Amino acid sequence: MNLNAQPSLNRRSSLNRRSLLRLAGAASTATLAADMSSIEALASPALTESLKQSGKRVILLWLAGGASQLETWDPKPGRLTGGPFSKIQTCVPGIEISELLPKMSSRLKETAIIRSLNTKIADHGNAYQLMDTGRTPEPSLKFPHLGATIAHELGQRDSQVPDYVTMYTSTEGRRQGTAGFLGGRYNPMFLTDQMMPANIKRLDSITEIDHRDRADLRDLMANIFDRKQSHPMYDAHNSAYDRVRGLMASDHLFDIEREPQSVRNHYGPTQFGQQCLIARRLAEAGVPFIKVARAWWDSHGQNFETHQELCADLDHCMSALLDDLKARGMLDSTLVITLGEFGRTPDINGSLGRDHFASAWSCTLSGCGIRGGSVFGKSDEDGKTVIEGEMNAGDLFATIFAALGIDHHKEFMVGSRPIPIADFDSEPCFDILA
Amino acid sequence: MQPSNLHELAKWPCQDIVFCAAASDDSRRLWIGSSDAGVYQMDVAEEKPQRMKLSGEGHSSYVTCLTRCGSTLVTGSYDRKLIWWDTETGQQIRQIKAHDKWIRKIISTPDHSRVISVADDMQCRVWDLASGTMIAEFSDHPPMTPHHYPSMLYAVAVSPDGSKIATGDRVGHVAIWDSKSFETIAEIETPVMYTWDPQKRRHSIGGIRSLAFSGDSQRLAVGGIGKIGNIDHLGGPARLEVFNCQTGERQLELEDNKLKGLIEQIVWGPDDAWLLTAGGDNKGFTSFYNPESGEMFHQEQHPAHIHGLWCDAAYENFFIAAHKQVNHWSMAEKEA
Repeated sequence: MNLNAQPSLNRRSSLNRRSLLRLAGAASTATLAADMSSIEALASPALTESLKQSGKRVILLWLAGGASQLETWDPKPGRLTGGPFSKIQTCVPGIEISELLPKMSSRLKETAIIRSLNTKIADHGNAYQLMDTGRTPEPSLKFPHLGATIAHELGQRDSQVPDYVTMYTSTEGRRQGTAGFLGGRYNPMFLTDQMMPANIKRLDSITEIDHRDRADLRDLMANIFDRKQSHPMYDAHNSAYDRVRGLMASDHLFDIEREPQSVRNHYGPTQFGQQCLIARRLAEAGVPFIKVARAWWDSHGQNFETHQELCADLDHCMSALLDDLKARGMLDSTLVITLGEFGRTPDINGSLGRDHFASAWSCTLSGCGIRGGSVFGKSDEDGKTVIEGEMNAGDLFATIFAALGIDHHKEFMVGSRPIPIADFDSEPCFDILA
Repeated sequence: MQPSNLHELAKWPCQDIVFCAAASDDSRRLWIGSSDAGVYQMDVAEEKPQRMKLSGEGHSSYVTCLTRCGSTLVTGSYDRKLIWWDTETGQQIRQIKAHDKWIRKIISTPDHSRVISVADDMQCRVWDLASGTMIAEFSDHPPMTPHHYPSMLYAVAVSPDGSKIATGDRVGHVAIWDSKSFETIAEIETPVMYTWDPQKRRHSIGGIRSLAFSGDSQRLAVGGIGKIGNIDHLGGPARLEVFNCQTGERQLELEDNKLKGLIEQIVWGPDDAWLLTAGGDNKGFTSFYNPESGEMFHQEQHPAHIHGLWCDAAYENFFIAAHKQVNHWSMAEKEA
């Protein structure tokens, strides 16, 4: 099998190959993907080492259930669709956001707002899949989700920390996602019930000395074996053991008690705040992709009360995270994304709720590679349609990759089929790139 | 007036959400507050009443509440302002920035000398009707919920004898105040009105949405919604609790799982003969209870969530402020 990331083809030839290979490759791809082992994926050559060494990171604040763009990044006060909240001027002249985000209003110089997502799919399951992979699914091929792709592109082979961590403690809408054809090596460390990873503790029945002695013995035997019969597969095997030891030693990254009280206070007492602090610790330690899911924004009833609560949480925690990253000199190398599976309807239902809506909604990108203080796209005065700069999921993913310095034309070869890292025809939004 | 006589006289559909209503003593003129930030007068005695927007700077957000005292109308809004209007001229008299957050409810004292407002800054403020001067402010409601999110102060009521004020918040806390000293004289907890979902969705829903003293000022009815499994929706039981104001003893605890949702309004009937609750989820309801036994003896489903309800002193005319409609009901005997 071949899972090498290849240099980009030009756009036209890529499209031609797509049309030729889509059918031909589909059947074989499923088998190949299913057979892929994590060790083989780990052994992938052709790594863009300079990028991996650049220390770029992504923290995705996943607004699960679908936050309302009208109560966050694209307010429409004064319209019947606008709801009761007013808009406030941000620190960037001409850019206004909902009054529910007062702290973010003074930090918008680090953030670009996209107000023109039209992703069309407005049911949770399929929309999640779309916004997690950047493309519509194919039955014959499992596409990797964003975190897995970023982990593949930015993760270092010899890293002692996880490449991809997801925190999703609420149960509603919880989906682990998949690394798809990239293989299990890029599946997330998935934290659900507690913030400390389970099963990475050394067994009590094994002493620290025994644990170290066993590792030394294994290393000795591996080195002897390697001298006699070298092969990339054996390197990968050894690397996997190193990673396990690294993971076992990384439990301190999840322990926010190690942070000064002032830092913990800055993030606040909510679970989301604590998880954002863990995300910063993980990013600082070199984890390339961290997803913090804040559920559940699905406000079919009482949309405005729900957003009073959840926007307060988002506003505080996102602001604290950006402040902290900036203070540590990490913001230029860390891309902070706020995204969900869709937005919410402009029309307000009888329960003062808003329902699912994917035709004109918003997300933000902050930090690494982003031209802060910018807005891209425009919805109409009632927020019902995109009237300028329509962007789909593929374009958003291409923009994310471009912000991180990843060539969005890059292709994976899955069997004989080239799969572009961002969906076919997608293009980055250069307007918001630094 | 028999609750079973309640019937619709007129229905006026609209595009906006109507949150509150109050009529003239003769029920010929109606004032409503809208989600389009307008305050409107309707001459409901006419066959096809038109909305006439009261003139002035007005509000800039949802008009959530209003109260009429003679020829003065006072409205409150999410824009944090209270506005005084002259109902005879339709002109704005004064406006004040009354609160630091969204105003939820305004009422007037029985003698019409004062108006009382509550807002999400968790303050209850008493205003002189004639001058607009603030007389007092007080609160017994923490700004944050126990789960570290902003709380909300939805409800306020004044007793018919004018001696007591009650305020009710998001987490189910009720404070009863002496209306002269503005000191707390009783506290009541209704925790079932607040649903915190710690696991599935990790936010809350509910809160005390309505308060009403009985005619003898001895009992306090508290309305809201019971525990909800799926807090994405208002799919919980309409919940009503009645307390003795002196002892704090809970005398009634009622939940309706047939017509669900928030109880937004409570009206005590003549001589406290019945309790009317109104509200809803995606649709609306009106329910009549015997305040002694708790028995629900009459109930109607309404096509739209009821936000506001006003009735005249004779309990004959009822005006309903609802989602995209206004209704005129009567409890008088139907004409043959």
